[in-house]
Amino acid sequence: MRSYLLRRLPSALLVLFAASFLIFAILRLVPGDPATSLAGPDASPATVAAIRDRLGLDAPLLSQYAHWIGSLLTGDLGPSYAIGGDVSDLIGDGLGATTELTLAALLFVILLGTAFGILGATSRSRWIRSAIRVTTTAALAAPPFVSGVLLVVLFAVVLGVLPPGGRVAFFDAPDLAAQYLLLPALCLALPSAAVLGRYLKDGIERALAEDCIRTATAAGIAPRRLLWRHALPGALPPVVTLLGMQTGHLLGGAVLVEAIFAWPGLGQLAEQGLQRRDYPVVQDLLLLLVAAFVVVQLLTDLVHAWLDPRIRWE
Amino acid sequence: MTPTPDLAPASPEALPDSLRKPVGARKAVRPRHPYRAALSTARARTGLVLVGVVVLAGLLAPVLAGHGPTDQSGQSLAALGTPGHPLGTDDLGRDLLSRVLYGIRADLGIIAIAVPLGAALGCLFALAAAAHPVADTLVQRVFDLILAFPGLILALAVTAILGPGRLPVVLVIALAEIPAFGRLLRGGILVQREREYVTAARVGGSSGPRVLVRHILPNAADPLIVQIAVSLTVAVFIEGAMSFLGVGVRPPEPTLGSVLSQSMPYLDQAPHFAAGPLITVTALVLGLSLIAEALNRETRR
Repeated sequence: MRSYLLRRLPSALLVLFAASFLIFAILRLVPGDPATSLAGPDASPATVAAIRDRLGLDAPLLSQYAHWIGSLLTGDLGPSYAIGGDVSDLIGDGLGATTELTLAALLFVILLGTAFGILGATSRSRWIRSAIRVTTTAALAAPPFVSGVLLVVLFAVVLGVLPPGGRVAFFDAPDLAAQYLLLPALCLALPSAAVLGRYLKDGIERALAEDCIRTATAAGIAPRRLLWRHALPGALPPVVTLLGMQTGHLLGGAVLVEAIFAWPGLGQLAEQGLQRRDYPVVQDLLLLLVAAFVVVQLLTDLVHAWLDPRIRWE
Repeated sequence: MTPTPDLAPASPEALPDSLRKPVGARKAVRPRHPYRAALSTARARTGLVLVGVVVLAGLLAPVLAGHGPTDQSGQSLAALGTPGHPLGTDDLGRDLLSRVLYGIRADLGIIAIAVPLGAALGCLFALAAAAHPVADTLVQRVFDLILAFPGLILALAVTAILGPGRLPVVLVIALAEIPAFGRLLRGGILVQREREYVTAARVGGSSGPRVLVRHILPNAADPLIVQIAVSLTVAVFIEGAMSFLGVGVRPPEPTLGSVLSQSMPYLDQAPHFAAGPLITVTALVLGLSLIAEALNRETRR
């Protein structure tokens, strides 16, 4: 296991390094000077020069890069250019909100996905099985902004039971916070839940078709016990891997869902930073998101290798 | 497409015939072309009709729309069925039907450039990868790097350089498609290259490029056809997502995504604002996924 990790780690680090270099480089290629736009249209050249000096924009590019990486490693990200406040604080706040949304969505993915999978594979009612097939197909095909608008129209406008957007900090008022969390988390979770449900359904159906299950049925073991003790464990390993991959998707999808539901997370912060040309915020944020994605992928590979020894020895 | 020896088992409906006919008559019972078979299923036909209607509406936008997409009338948030405004008007009094129609047109314009661009670049990368092991490693790392940016983060990074607008939307869609097409074609070429008919063609004296173009590529192309349908869905998705993130095509020009995102603040007073773009995007995406699924089933047989 350790040797597999040692083999996978360099390529993950390489991707991270290349991404950091790209992110640093592209923001330096942007037309327009952040110092000029920060100082405002009527500023004197002296003011602009002072701002450039304070932000270190005149230093050689390589030392700017080294300084940036150093600040990331120490966690002291310095002040933001335009939004105001420390970048670390801004990102910390956004990270909390985004993590809350992603975790809630992950919970929905597991609950809904398992329900779709088990009911889809074992329900005796043809009606339920086709209802699940239609639901998963629709959830997979619908872009989040379509399902998001539909959820808002249904639950906030027609039924009026849930708020259409915004966020309440969880520890201030958990019940209110849960109401605000419900729709965005559901919207984010739907496509992944559908994928999970389909995989699980196929897995259970395949496991139930095995000879050992027939033997066990003949021996008189109850169908319920067969499902939970025999078929389900057999169907789980690929589903765990899938769940890891879907967590990466959730992270990317969160950016969009935040925009739909005015959820003040990292995606919203990125949007603000882009609109106001706030280099440090955008830079740090993009790298953080890529890093999170790379780490999730690495973890997924590790879990997969742990579950399936063939991959370890390849 | 040149018929290469078909190593896959004949399809079930062709079997009885092929058993009855003498060996020389094999041509007459060649199974139906998989794409044609796929597109004649009920599933694919429904998809084709849905996509066809939307595309036609977009192409005919200047004829069908009663107003310019940015013309403002005095009446804002007019209801469905208002005379002259069948879908009502938006918050600035612009005719929603016209905005949706021109929005389809804008999306089609973006997709028609972006998807072929991404597919072509992906295929070029795949060909380079298949040509030399060193190129292969490099290309794989490029794909890894693109995939390290989840789609929307890629969108944010590209708009960070270019600013919002039509060009970044096209580029983001193309970039996002490159690894999908590249990996599929690279994998296909690697698999087909080891098959015996390729050795046979080489032994028969065909040159390297000829073997590639006439024998390997046609057999490696199946997954790409399915991927095109999937990519079109992804393109609609990315355009809409970028509009929602405020980094898409600049207002006042309508796109499907931007009309829908503009309706968000008015959903409680005027839910019909969202109806047009919502139905159009749903029809488009549903149609495309039906087609993709039909193609996928048929080519995998």
